[in-house]
Amino acid sequence: MLLTAIVFLPVLFALLVMIWPRERSLRHFALGLSLIEFILSLVMLRDFDPATPALQFVEKQMWIERFGIQYFLGVDGISLWLVLLTTFFAPILILGSWTSIEKRIRGFHACLFLLQAAMLGTFLAMDAVFFYVFWELSLIPMYFMVGIWGGPRRIYATVKFFIYTMSGSVLMLIAIIYMMYLTQEGLGHMSASLLDFYQLKIPFVAGTVLSLQTLLFFAFSLAFAIKVPLFPVHTWLPDAHVEAPTPGSVILAGVMLKMGTYGFIRWVIPLFPEAAEHWAWLMLLLGVIGIIYGALVAMVQPDFKKLIAYSSVSHMGYIILGLFVFNSYGVSGGLYQMLNHGVSTGALFLLIGMIYERTHSREISKYGGLAGVLPLYATFFFIVTLSSIGLPLTNGFIGEFLVLMGTFQSNPGFAAAAVLGVILGATYMLWMFKRIFFGEKGQLIMEADHPLKDLSVREIAVLVPLVILIFWMGVMPNHFLNYSKTSIEHLVNNRTNYNLPLPGQTPAAPTEAQ
Amino acid sequence: MAMTVGLSDILLISPMIALFLMSLVPITIKVLRGNQEQPALATLAQALIGAVAAIGLLLVFGGPGKTAFNNALIFDGVTQWMGIIAIASAGASMILMYENPSTKGRQFSELMFLSMNSAVGMLILVSAVDLLMIFIGLELMSLALYLMIAMSHEEKISKEAAFKYFILGSLASAIFLYGTAFIFGSAGSTNILSFMAEAPRLIGGNLLFLYGVCLVMTGFCFKVSIAPFHAWTPDVYQGAPTPHTTFMATAVKVVSFAAFLRLIATKSLVGSPHLFDMLQWLAVITMLVGNVAAILQNNLKRMLAYSSIAHSGYLLIGIITAGVSDASFFGASSVIFYLLSYSIMTAGAFAIASMMERSDAHVVNIEDMAGFAKNRPIMALCFAIFMFSLAGIPPTLGFFGKFYLFTAAIGEGLLWLAIWGVVNSVISVYYYLRPIVVMYMKEGEAELAPHSLNATMVTVIVSAVLIVILGLVSGPIFQAVEQSLF
Repeated sequence: MLLTAIVFLPVLFALLVMIWPRERSLRHFALGLSLIEFILSLVMLRDFDPATPALQFVEKQMWIERFGIQYFLGVDGISLWLVLLTTFFAPILILGSWTSIEKRIRGFHACLFLLQAAMLGTFLAMDAVFFYVFWELSLIPMYFMVGIWGGPRRIYATVKFFIYTMSGSVLMLIAIIYMMYLTQEGLGHMSASLLDFYQLKIPFVAGTVLSLQTLLFFAFSLAFAIKVPLFPVHTWLPDAHVEAPTPGSVILAGVMLKMGTYGFIRWVIPLFPEAAEHWAWLMLLLGVIGIIYGALVAMVQPDFKKLIAYSSVSHMGYIILGLFVFNSYGVSGGLYQMLNHGVSTGALFLLIGMIYERTHSREISKYGGLAGVLPLYATFFFIVTLSSIGLPLTNGFIGEFLVLMGTFQSNPGFAAAAVLGVILGATYMLWMFKRIFFGEKGQLIMEADHPLKDLSVREIAVLVPLVILIFWMGVMPNHFLNYSKTSIEHLVNNRTNYNLPLPGQTPAAPTEAQ
Repeated sequence: MAMTVGLSDILLISPMIALFLMSLVPITIKVLRGNQEQPALATLAQALIGAVAAIGLLLVFGGPGKTAFNNALIFDGVTQWMGIIAIASAGASMILMYENPSTKGRQFSELMFLSMNSAVGMLILVSAVDLLMIFIGLELMSLALYLMIAMSHEEKISKEAAFKYFILGSLASAIFLYGTAFIFGSAGSTNILSFMAEAPRLIGGNLLFLYGVCLVMTGFCFKVSIAPFHAWTPDVYQGAPTPHTTFMATAVKVVSFAAFLRLIATKSLVGSPHLFDMLQWLAVITMLVGNVAAILQNNLKRMLAYSSIAHSGYLLIGIITAGVSDASFFGASSVIFYLLSYSIMTAGAFAIASMMERSDAHVVNIEDMAGFAKNRPIMALCFAIFMFSLAGIPPTLGFFGKFYLFTAAIGEGLLWLAIWGVVNSVISVYYYLRPIVVMYMKEGEAELAPHSLNATMVTVIVSAVLIVILGLVSGPIFQAVEQSLF
């Protein structure tokens, strides 16, 4: 019941905020609800057993019997932290949007909760069709969030986001249906359960694109690559980020992009091991191009929200790099980097939102000398910047280090290129920091009719948990990685015949399909 | 041939009898009152009682393998499901007629009489397995419909629409009849059941039979607006009063597909690979034409008209699947399920359009919906649900309709059609999102028409709730459809 509660309580919350009688206390109410959800996920963390790679808190019910589609939820070391990341961000977002969202606050909070439910469902669903339902459902609240509360070009951005993402995922639907027929041939009964998919041995022929496993691999990869977003299908992201309201950007960067990388680690790599290995060079190459290209483009952005958006493209490249070297350093680094990127980029977008609320401008050239005016703000911004460029003692360092170490083991060439991205990352972030906070006082700071106010108590309350996490994850990564270690090692060691056992079950031997 | 009419025959056609008798009530009352209209609500109530009675009788007396009048009519699962979907959609359209400015008021009794007789034609059409019976059903349904459109209060466009529909509809009927003659000449019978077994062989060897089947199918393609026989659809759908458009886009389409399914069940496609290829290309072209043209529309009804053409294309995938699958009824069930979902969401979307029309000549453009979400949050939410469902976004009913359809197609090896289907779904998202963008993201003062709209509103809300709820329990429904076909 725990996972059902975690996934579906936010749906109930969305209804509750719609009917909550008093608009003035709506935000307090929503904050309370999101804290309940977070505590619930902490209960899951407390009862989670890190020693087994098996799925835990499993809930399994037949949903559509005719096709063996199940209501199937479960969590393991790979999805555990992503679930917590999602529930952790909801209260932060509600607190962070306290003053920035002014119209239709009811609808906004309902969208937020629906989005949370859809993302949690994506991370916890263990049945392909069930997963797909959540995967697509997450588009709708995000679409409204950007389209209603976004910036001037919001309609273009949100329609682009919706169509771009959907065009990637429809081929995945076809691939899922095809695999359901493969289970019928291979296992004798039609099933959409991920565990049954893992049992399949899908024929693979190297050297041709027209082999079954390769085609399915690309059908799934396209959906996930667009979500990540991987170069060259990243072009929706800068638009969506720039036009989205602050909470939209935070949730997009913080959690939604991770649905793509999660898809790779949960679906693509274990389901199509031979194809993944054969085409790893392509993914690595695109990852590295993304790292360097994202960094270079970020460097020349005049708008700092766009700069952070392109830095996301760069950072997500590391995650892909880590996942597709298939060793435990790389994969755990990739997984850790998912959390890091969520925390640091989420924090950066929150900080950008805070200054935007004060000045209503995002042009770097109009700032300058902000450190003298807003010292507290500058301090927080500096800490988050350091985390984003991966300074030791911050979370970013651990993730990048593990990824690069894993990549060196198998692919020194790609690792060398990726290191270049680290340097570029430091360059554009620090350069931006210098232009905004130091030097001559900029046009906006001089012209401000009333003096800019430093962070309020509420804003500090939003940022402090993130800063604590940045250091906690940077100094004691084992507190986090220990929970995922068994699952990651299980994946790395059994990549070609991966199997997720249910509690108290020994993995069955894979069977031949066709 | 001695023809005896037994009690079982009468019981089986009791839904049609009930509907016909109830249709006489409003006009009889009008005559008895000295040509004075009774209250419109009473007329509507009589019509809906007739519809409910017909559905009930269909459920009670129909059953697997039951035939009437010497195998001319059959009352199996297809008849029951398609009949219920069609009568229910017709009922929903009648509710819209009660409140739409171009249909309400004067001559409402006559309008109900015609709609119910059109519905009788529909019941004949869904149960007919004899090509001549299909023709009779088709004509009864269509003739009533031509009149209904022509008697709209609106003066110009609806008359043009009625005339266009009449001319092209008659042409389609003529082609259909011509094909029937060919089939009678080559197979020796017009009854589908009697030439079913030899159809795959006949179509391969007998050119006359092939021509016959092709011509009959062309007639169906006209009726369900498969490209390139779709050109009448946008004009007629736009010109006809919105409730009649709803009637045509849901009920008429459902029953025409039912008859198409009867013909396709002969497995003629198996014997004729060329016809098989041809239909596949028609499906692809129809989806593309419908979706691409819908993007260009500003008129809400015209956009929905092209969307309904696109949906005919998706449905044709299911029809083809049903035509080549040998043992299972998977393809046919997926078509029925898709028609169920399609009817609910289309009826809902047209109902919203109908509610926005202030007078009989009012044209609703998509841009006119700006600000609708602010003024009418619940109606806007329902409309958004219809649009998401038409686009096939989970977890709505429309998604599951497409899911079953494509699963059936892939199961029969028609992978490429399924891929065309999903690619078209992506194209369609663009224009289905447009009204939502306008309603939620643009400033404006869109409002419903000022007159009373309670009954239509109930229809809209019921449709929206059905889309969400039936989406979640689609599995058992699909299974029920499939089991009823054995």
